[in-house]
Amino acid sequence: MVIDQNRCIGCWTCAVGCKEMNNEPFGFWWNRVLTAAPGETTGESNSALADPASDNIDVPHGTYPNVEMAYLPVACQHCDDAPCVKVCPVGATFKQDDGTVLVDYERCIGCRYCMAACPYGIRVFNWGEPKQPVDFTVGYGKDYRVDGRLVFTPDRPRGVVEKCTLCVELIEEGTDPFCVQVCPVGARVFGDLADPNSEVAQLVDEAGATQLLPDLGTDPRIFYLPVDRERNV
Amino acid sequence: MATRVETPAPRTASFGRFGRGFLVAAGLLVIWGLGAWIYQLTQGLIVTGMRDVVSWGLYIFTFAFLVGLSAGGLIMASAAEAFGVRSLRPLARLGVLTAAACVLVAAMTIIPDLGKAQRVWELFVYPNWSSPLVWDIIIILVYFVFAVVDLTVMSKRGIARSERAKWIRILAYVGLPTAVLLHSITAWIFGLQISRPWWNTALMAPLFVTSAVLSGTALVALAALAAQRFDRFKVSDETWRGLAVLMATTIAIDLFLVACDYITILWGNVPRERAALDQVLPGGSWQAVFWLEWVVGGIVPFVLFVVPSLRRRGWVFGLASALVLVGVYAFRIELVVGGMIRPLLHLPPGIALGSYRPGQSSFETVGVYHPTWVEYAIVTGVLVFLSLLIVLGYRWLRIGTRDEETA
Repeated sequence: MVIDQNRCIGCWTCAVGCKEMNNEPFGFWWNRVLTAAPGETTGESNSALADPASDNIDVPHGTYPNVEMAYLPVACQHCDDAPCVKVCPVGATFKQDDGTVLVDYERCIGCRYCMAACPYGIRVFNWGEPKQPVDFTVGYGKDYRVDGRLVFTPDRPRGVVEKCTLCVELIEEGTDPFCVQVCPVGARVFGDLADPNSEVAQLVDEAGATQLLPDLGTDPRIFYLPVDRERNV
Repeated sequence: MATRVETPAPRTASFGRFGRGFLVAAGLLVIWGLGAWIYQLTQGLIVTGMRDVVSWGLYIFTFAFLVGLSAGGLIMASAAEAFGVRSLRPLARLGVLTAAACVLVAAMTIIPDLGKAQRVWELFVYPNWSSPLVWDIIIILVYFVFAVVDLTVMSKRGIARSERAKWIRILAYVGLPTAVLLHSITAWIFGLQISRPWWNTALMAPLFVTSAVLSGTALVALAALAAQRFDRFKVSDETWRGLAVLMATTIAIDLFLVACDYITILWGNVPRERAALDQVLPGGSWQAVFWLEWVVGGIVPFVLFVVPSLRRRGWVFGLASALVLVGVYAFRIELVVGGMIRPLLHLPPGIALGSYRPGQSSFETVGVYHPTWVEYAIVTGVLVFLSLLIVLGYRWLRIGTRDEETA
C-alpha cells in the first residue's frame, strides 16, 4: 500500500472506517492518523522521535510564522522482516506468502511480546471484556480463516493481541482494504508491490516513496509519499 | 564412608512457635495471591495497571528479578568448586536450593502475565525457534533440572565422600556456563529488540549476569542469616567476608555497566535514546528507580560491605543484602518501564490504550503505569511462596545439620 501524505487531510475516515469494518471495541484503534511534521517519515531526520509540538492532534510543528504540519496515518506496516513474527513464541503472528502479517486469535497466548517488539505501536491487546458502542455487530461481521487459522473474528476473545489485517477477507475477494475504499481524497493506493507494472510499484520506484522508521530494517510493505517529496525527485 | 548418626528430630517439632507462625502467615498470603489470580482470570488483565503503552509490568519485573536471584546460589556453589573458593563452600547446598526454588517460581510468574494462561502448553507444541522467549523457557527448564540434580548429588545419603566430591566438581563445570546462559538469554528477551532503543544494547547480557550474581548472593546471605538466627546453621567469619567482597565487587561492576549505558546515550544525545533515559534520570517521572538503584541499593550497601567494622554486625549485613535486592529490583523496573514508556513514534494522539475510560482520551503519547492491588497481591503471593519453598526445602534436606559433611 502507498499512502500519499500530500493528499491526506487528517480527517480520520480511514481510522473510523477501520473501526467499523472490524467491529473494534471502545479504546481500540488499529489505524490512527498521527499529526507529524513534513518529512518525518523519510528517516532523514530524527524529528519523528523527538517531542511532538503538542499532545493534541492538528497542532502544527514549529514557531509562527514558520509552522508546518503533515498527517501520518499509521496502522500495521506489514513488515517484510517483521519483529513481531520473530518474537512470537508460538507462531501465532505469521506472515502470509502475499506479505500480510496476521494474528491467529486461537493460537495467541497473550504474552504481549509482539507489542514490545513492534516499533510502530500498532498492536492492541484485549485487556478485558470488549465494550461496543452499539449492541450489534458492525462491519464484516463473520469469522475469517486462512489455512484454518482464525485471523479475524468480530467477537473478541479476551487476552489476545490483535491488529490490522489489511482486510485480508476483502483482498481475497479482489477488493481494496476498507481504509483505501473510504479515503475521501484518494490518498491510499493498494496493489501488488511485486508486480512492477502496478501503480503502487511505480509510485515506490519513481515517486520517491519512503518507509516508516526505515533505519530499523523492518522493510515495511506500507510506503509513504512525503509532502516534500519534490525535493527528492 | 560417611556414616554420621543423625539426630532424628521429629519434623513437627523442628519448627518453633515463630516457625509455625511464619508457615501460617505465609500460607495465608499465598492463598490471598491465588485468590487475586483467580479474580484476574475471571475479569481479564483489565484489572491490572498495564495498558497498550506500558504493556509489561510487575509480573515481568518480578520474573526478570527472580531469574536473576536464581543465579547467585548456583554460581556461588559452582565457583566454590571450579575455582576452589573454599570460603563459599559451606553455602553450596543452601545456594543451590535457592537457585532451584527461584527459577521454579520465576517460571510460575510468567503465568499470571499471560492473557490466555490456559494455552501455555502451546509453547511446547508450537515453539517458534526465532523467539528469545522460547530459548528462555528451554534454558529455565534445563537450569531447574540441573539445580535439582546438583542438590540431589549434594544431599543424597550413602554416597562415598570422594565419589560425591568428584560429581560435585563435574557439575560445577556444567553449572557455571548454564547459569551464564540463563541470564544472557533472559537479557536477550529485551536486548535484541530494535523497537526499544533503551533495551537494544549489547550491554544487556553482561548487566543481567552481573546483577544476577549480585542479587543471588544477597538472597543466599539473607537465607544464611535467617538460618543462623533461627537454626543451628553456622557460617564462619571468613565466609561472610567472602560474600561481602563478592557483593561489593558486583555492585561496582553493575553500576559501572549502567553508567556506561548512561554516558553513551547522554553524549550521543540521539533523541529516541535520550527520551527513555530522561524518564528515569533525576527529574524524570520514574526518577525514584534511579535513586533506589544508585543510592539506596547501590552506594549505601557498597559502603556497608566495604567498611569492616560495619559488615561484621549481622544486622548491618542483613540490611545491606536487603538493600541490594531493592536496588536490583529497581534496575528491573528501570529496564522494563524505561523501554516501554516512550513509544518510538511519539506523535499525537499517541497509542491506543485498548480500554475505555469515560471522559478520558483513549490514547497516550507517554505511558502511565500504576500497578493495582491484584498485581501486588499476586506478586506478594509469589515471593512468599518462594520463601516457603526455601524454608521447607531447608528443613527437608536438613541443610542446617548436615553441612559439615559436604564441606
